[in-house]
Amino acid sequence: MNWSRVGAIMLKHWFDFRRDFFRIFDIFWWPTFQLFIWGLFSLYLNSVTADRPNFVTILLGGVILWTFFDRATRDISRTFIEEIWNRNLPNIFSTPLTVTEYIVGVVGIAVVKLIMSAVFLFFLARVFYAFEPLKLGWYLVPATIGLTFAGWSLSFFIQAIILRYGHTVEVFIWAIAVLVEPFSCVFYPLSALPVWAQRIALFLPTTYIFENLRRMVFGQSIRVEDIAVSFGLNMVYGVLSIWFFYRTFRYAKKEGLLVKYY
Amino acid sequence: MEQTLVTVDHLTKRFGPPVGGFTAVRDISFSVHEGEIVGLLGPNGAGKTTTIFMLLDLITPTSGDIRIFGLSYQTDREAILQHLNYSSTYVEMSPQLTVYENLFVVAKLYRVIDPKQKIQEYAEKFGVTEFIRWPTRKLSAGQKTRVSLVKAFVNEPRLLLLDEPTASLDPDIALYVRKEILEARKRGMTVLITSHNMAEVEEVCDQVLFIHRGKLIARDTPEGLASRVRKVHVNLMMKDGQKRTLAFAKKAGFRATHQERFVTIDVDEEDIAYLLASLADLGVSYKSIAIDKPTLEDFFVQASTKRSHL
Repeated sequence: MNWSRVGAIMLKHWFDFRRDFFRIFDIFWWPTFQLFIWGLFSLYLNSVTADRPNFVTILLGGVILWTFFDRATRDISRTFIEEIWNRNLPNIFSTPLTVTEYIVGVVGIAVVKLIMSAVFLFFLARVFYAFEPLKLGWYLVPATIGLTFAGWSLSFFIQAIILRYGHTVEVFIWAIAVLVEPFSCVFYPLSALPVWAQRIALFLPTTYIFENLRRMVFGQSIRVEDIAVSFGLNMVYGVLSIWFFYRTFRYAKKEGLLVKYY
Repeated sequence: MEQTLVTVDHLTKRFGPPVGGFTAVRDISFSVHEGEIVGLLGPNGAGKTTTIFMLLDLITPTSGDIRIFGLSYQTDREAILQHLNYSSTYVEMSPQLTVYENLFVVAKLYRVIDPKQKIQEYAEKFGVTEFIRWPTRKLSAGQKTRVSLVKAFVNEPRLLLLDEPTASLDPDIALYVRKEILEARKRGMTVLITSHNMAEVEEVCDQVLFIHRGKLIARDTPEGLASRVRKVHVNLMMKDGQKRTLAFAKKAGFRATHQERFVTIDVDEEDIAYLLASLADLGVSYKSIAIDKPTLEDFFVQASTKRSHL
């Protein structure tokens, strides 16, 4: 691993980000939009429900944590498809840069953007809805890490699919988080899902994190075994998706897909 | 003693499934020595670009072996690519980034010491300085080609692969690029170049590899390849008897073309005397005569249209 080359990839995407208004917009606008919709809805529920739980914490906590997953699924895949759009993959991979260095570089810049997005959201939530992220305490750490890793696993899987099939499948970049969201029980308990959907939900690392977020809000203790299952699933999916990405990269080199202009 | 920088041994590339796929490169072998400029020629779809991409490890060969600097991609990929670079008209850089930012990132990927100075040096050489702060998307095709050349030289590679380096360039810049390629050779750089500009290949290349339908069908100096074409062009500026001349050429089986008062007849070198004597017998008169020796372009046309080996 050469950190100078990793830094070059991060620098490239930082230059790219800085110069593209729509990307800056993407980081701040959509999360803000979601925050205001759910924030206003939470305030309304708080005002009409007696002996209520704190909807602001449940719903806004859900929205903010979901942003970690959502951004993690999109950032890396988007970075990758832009290299394909720009016909830039031959320039990158004809240098001594290794696939691992490339991955570390794009993950590094994704972390920077994720932190920017999260800080901005926490700030807005605190100012407009008196939402205190620190109320989530230590749970915030495994929750954000778990959701981010789950997003990255999916992202590497999507990147491999894009590498294999090109632009035709890029819709997955934008759609995957939406497809996973209903099964992740972000705003409702697992028991609210039909039985067949509960079976699917149990295979998602995200479900356990949101279930325990609600337990915490309702004053119940966090189920550490749930967090362990979530991280275990993350590890399995992470290893599988990275393995799949490397395998597809080798296939792409074999079939000339790195130099193909879609 | 000349060091062999590139050794390609029985290289084959087949795409797609065993049934219904196609073979882009068929069992080619060649070597390139240090300090040589080697042209890779062939008609469109011949397998030139696939070969270049295999030399860059962007495409994995189906079979055969590539050794660059005596090393193999299987074990020494980073060491090889550190001293290699390429330029292609068909590969773009990030359009949002400025030219300088794109070049800076490339220089960092090659761990160039003092990238700013190196970019400045080659930007001046290839006339990129005036638009170095522009977003890359705003460049014309010719400007992009020049930027691509700066990118190719930025790490001072030992081996440089150039895919159509002067395509879209104005003649004065193209001339400068050729000069720079020859200068680079003096500094010990080895260059493998593809081009459709035969005059350019004749000017800069020491050796030419001619690929046709994936097979290497000839390797020689540009002059050596041209001399394999036996036909010469006899150019006549007619005074009288143009129709008789064309009728005679047709009857004798010579290929003839004409435009206004100019007639060109393609004949084997040994038939020149017969042609001129016959025209004299027919009472044909001409104001001037010029005999053009075959060029690399003639070889290219002949090789591209013939199936047999030359």
